[in-house]
Amino acid sequence: MTIRPDAPPSDPAATSTGRLIPIPHDPELPTPVKRRRRSLRSASPMTYLVLTFVVLISAGPLYYMVVMASRPNSDITSVPPPLTPGGELGTNADRVLNSPDVAFVQALINSFLVSAVATITVVTLSSLAGFAFAKLRFKGRNIFLLAVIGTMMVPVQLALVPLYMLMGWLGLAGSLWSAVLPFLVTGFGVFFMRQYIVTAIPDELIEAARVDGASTLRIFWQVIFPALRPAAAVLGLLTFMERWNDFMWPYLTLSPENPTVQVALQRLSSGYYTDQALVMAGTLLGTIPLVLVFVVFGRQIVSGIMEGGVKA
Amino acid sequence: MTTRRSRWLASAAALVAMTAFATACGSDDSASGSDDEEITLRVNLFGKFGYADLYKQYEDENPNITIVETAEGDLGAYNTQLQQRIAAGTGAGDIVAIEEGQAVNFLQAADQFVNLQDHGANDLKDQFLPWKFEGATTADGSTTIGLGTDVGGMAMCYRRDLFEEAGLPTDREQVAALWPTWDDYIATGEKYKAAMGDESAFMDSSTNTYNSILMQNAEYTYFDRDDTLVIDSNPAVKDAWDTAVAISDDGLTAKLKAFSPEWNAGFKNGDFATIACPAWMTGYIKDQSGEENAGNWDITTVPGGSGNWGGSWLAVPTQSEHQEEAIELIKFLTSADGQLAAFEAEGNLPSNPTLYDDPALQGATNEYFSDAPVGQIFVEGAAALEPVYLGAQNQPVRDAVENALRSVENGQRSSEEAWDTAVSDAEKAAQS
Amino acid sequence: MTLRDRLARLDIAGAPYLFIAPFFILFGIFGLFPLGYTLWVSLHDWSLLAGDQGFVGLANYSELLGDDYFWNSLLNTFAIFLIATIPQILMALGLAQVLNTSLRAITFWRMGVVLPIVTSVAAVGIIFSMIFARDFGLANWLLSLVGVDPIAWNQERLPSWIAIATMVDWRWTGYNALILLAALQAVPKELYESARLDGAGAVRQWWSITIPMLRPTLVFVVTVATIGGIQLFTEPLLFNPGANAITGGELRQFQTSTMYLVEEAFTGQRFGYASTIAWALFIVIVLVSLINSVIVRRIRSVD
Repeated sequence: MTIRPDAPPSDPAATSTGRLIPIPHDPELPTPVKRRRRSLRSASPMTYLVLTFVVLISAGPLYYMVVMASRPNSDITSVPPPLTPGGELGTNADRVLNSPDVAFVQALINSFLVSAVATITVVTLSSLAGFAFAKLRFKGRNIFLLAVIGTMMVPVQLALVPLYMLMGWLGLAGSLWSAVLPFLVTGFGVFFMRQYIVTAIPDELIEAARVDGASTLRIFWQVIFPALRPAAAVLGLLTFMERWNDFMWPYLTLSPENPTVQVALQRLSSGYYTDQALVMAGTLLGTIPLVLVFVVFGRQIVSGIMEGGVKA
Repeated sequence: MTTRRSRWLASAAALVAMTAFATACGSDDSASGSDDEEITLRVNLFGKFGYADLYKQYEDENPNITIVETAEGDLGAYNTQLQQRIAAGTGAGDIVAIEEGQAVNFLQAADQFVNLQDHGANDLKDQFLPWKFEGATTADGSTTIGLGTDVGGMAMCYRRDLFEEAGLPTDREQVAALWPTWDDYIATGEKYKAAMGDESAFMDSSTNTYNSILMQNAEYTYFDRDDTLVIDSNPAVKDAWDTAVAISDDGLTAKLKAFSPEWNAGFKNGDFATIACPAWMTGYIKDQSGEENAGNWDITTVPGGSGNWGGSWLAVPTQSEHQEEAIELIKFLTSADGQLAAFEAEGNLPSNPTLYDDPALQGATNEYFSDAPVGQIFVEGAAALEPVYLGAQNQPVRDAVENALRSVENGQRSSEEAWDTAVSDAEKAAQS
Repeated sequence: MTLRDRLARLDIAGAPYLFIAPFFILFGIFGLFPLGYTLWVSLHDWSLLAGDQGFVGLANYSELLGDDYFWNSLLNTFAIFLIATIPQILMALGLAQVLNTSLRAITFWRMGVVLPIVTSVAAVGIIFSMIFARDFGLANWLLSLVGVDPIAWNQERLPSWIAIATMVDWRWTGYNALILLAALQAVPKELYESARLDGAGAVRQWWSITIPMLRPTLVFVVTVATIGGIQLFTEPLLFNPGANAITGGELRQFQTSTMYLVEEAFTGQRFGYASTIAWALFIVIVLVSLINSVIVRRIRSVD
């Protein structure tokens, strides 16, 4: 048996010009998702057991965050450590929200803006560049791609000082712009999209559109982009999380009056002494919006992944 | 969701986010250029300096000035951030706090700070302990970059309840009489160990004790005043090392690394009965030990009688756009009245010797520590102090020695091996 | 040639450059400058605060070659990388396969495995240093159940490597599983169907369809894991909280190269030397990535 993995069989539907203008699904009709599901192997009880174990391990630290955030600080250093939530959550949360040193609500808004803007630009620009690297022929393609991968290889810790100087020269040090500018696009994103497009988008799809006389940009926007949804969803989620949890760079560049959540949390401890319970309460408050994003968009992201491939 | 609708939604969401972002970024207020213009002074501190009331007073007296303080919790993070901002020449506050361990580093970049000698600092010399003033002055004496805030006078904190259990005296006068010298302190530790066994150690770690001994009896430590490395030839270093090694060989320590979670837990769980503590650590001990240990802790004099650990200066970076106003404010904050107010607010021990006879300071007690007369004890520990010179590369050498000492304590290395490592690390650091 | 043809030709030739331009313009400003500046600094004796102390050419580089602590940090970096990455990729592959089945509450399970990336790094550091604490940690308690004596995780070399690798894997396994899952979903079902008709079993299908189809994504996952692994910083730093965390243990038993870089820059104030470490690391990453791609090519020719 020979299967040439690099040349997946074409989707006959994709060669018709009608593909350029996708027909919206009537929500009343059974969606392709359901059809797709039936073609998957069904799950055994063993599968559920394995997954339960994995999810428990994944959620363990989150649970423990709640435990620590709901106890007085001195409980946290007990031997052995406490394993059940206490009753101090309200008190600790209140101390965070009303702390004079920490503009927590402002920080939440700032974090959201920085993360959202970076997510939008990373997904869009990475899809564009990734598509070019995966499917278009041009002089110097491999060199440029190597350069993209090369950008990921620079240890970030030392770029901090020069980057901060640059922001100073641009007069942006301390503004939200400085927190987001270096992350408008990432080598990781381009590389990620390229690898996905190589696998998931058959060449015939593009050729058929070319025959119809569509411009490259139109092909990208109407044929490719919709098919990228699973990957775009994953990349978007990862980017958002990464920016939200990033500490080092915002801490260095943002002025304390205008912080992101992680920078604000740094200010919760005072003196040489860290109040672990207070920090954990703040961390928990800073994580809740992420979990909300997760719950709200999770369904969409998963269905994006479910609809995978070109048969959107 | 259909592709068309989702794309439309995504575009709309993107547009909204971008607009909101641009609006959020575009709110910069620029200063006007009149004579008594409104000025905002930004003060970067770490920990608790106790200045809130002083700011109010200053703002009342100078209606055109607004003071915004940012206080950082984590000293390590604060130092890294300040270093980067000074190195990059932008982003530091109009006033910044410089901690004891970083003073020498920032003196290397003295041109990045306003020379306070050009602004009457020399007339204020008698307001500070001589070594405190020198600590922020370059070696040639020409440039002073900061004015002193507090000093970390040394004392010994101990657990009354554990001492009682071990059959030792608990009264602070009697406890002080147990250890005029470090050898006596060790001897007391032996008694404690004989009584308590593995239940609780006499002290937290050997590094803490090592630093207390070292900073007590030396004019300089790893580097002499010409900044030549003398770690191997300075008897003060070797003496402190040998004493610390003897302590860990005797098994008198709980082997807890300073500022680690286990160390923090140790305060509460009675893992150790004594710890050398500067003024600022009393708050730390109280927070970590919890209410259930109120009255269990007490404070007495440190063996050898004095010592210093910690303390800060206030400086004005040249990158500040309001240097004149910032200089006036640090003079106010570091004045006798300012230091006394800070002591009353947070217990930070003044570096102004004229205050040491002040009844407000002399009569201060600490309720958590069995009403110990903290003012008196810490003043005694600070007034007798001689200055200790720390070289420019003090921090990496200190880290190397502490690591070596801990490796002996953990049984990872013999004392000789560890000492050789510490010396070669020090030589490496000194070359740069 | 009509105008339309000409436009089409221009489009074919120019569009690719137009598509990659935003990345390179932004990277040129915010990526290239720090890189070039770092290279420049690495050729000087440069103190972080006191500034440039003079041009020294390649002296920093020759010092680095003889620097035991640098080699020690590289050894730690690679050991932790290998201990972490191999199980991580295998677990992620398995997890992606498990998730690629028809499940009830599918959203819940898929989101559940990615939860670790939501959890803030600060919390993770605190929690894992508690799990691996010598006296009251969960890890030693579990070991005591099977009769193993307590281990001082952060004092011994191999245990510290294993503990840090555990932290890394906890954070990234689910994330990689999600990426692999997206790729699995993109494998056309017809391939499996025709293979089934040819009588290929599940294992055979996995080897001859799944793995080849996943190859680009696997290359991606391995490359990213390599680049991230060699730049490992946060986990080992958080693993040993308290004084001198940056030296990675009393004997530098788990100090990674980026930790050494930061130590030299901020504790030692040697900005020039730290820049040299950054460039040396950059070269190491490039070399390892080349070796990676050679290995992947070999696998391809074996098929």
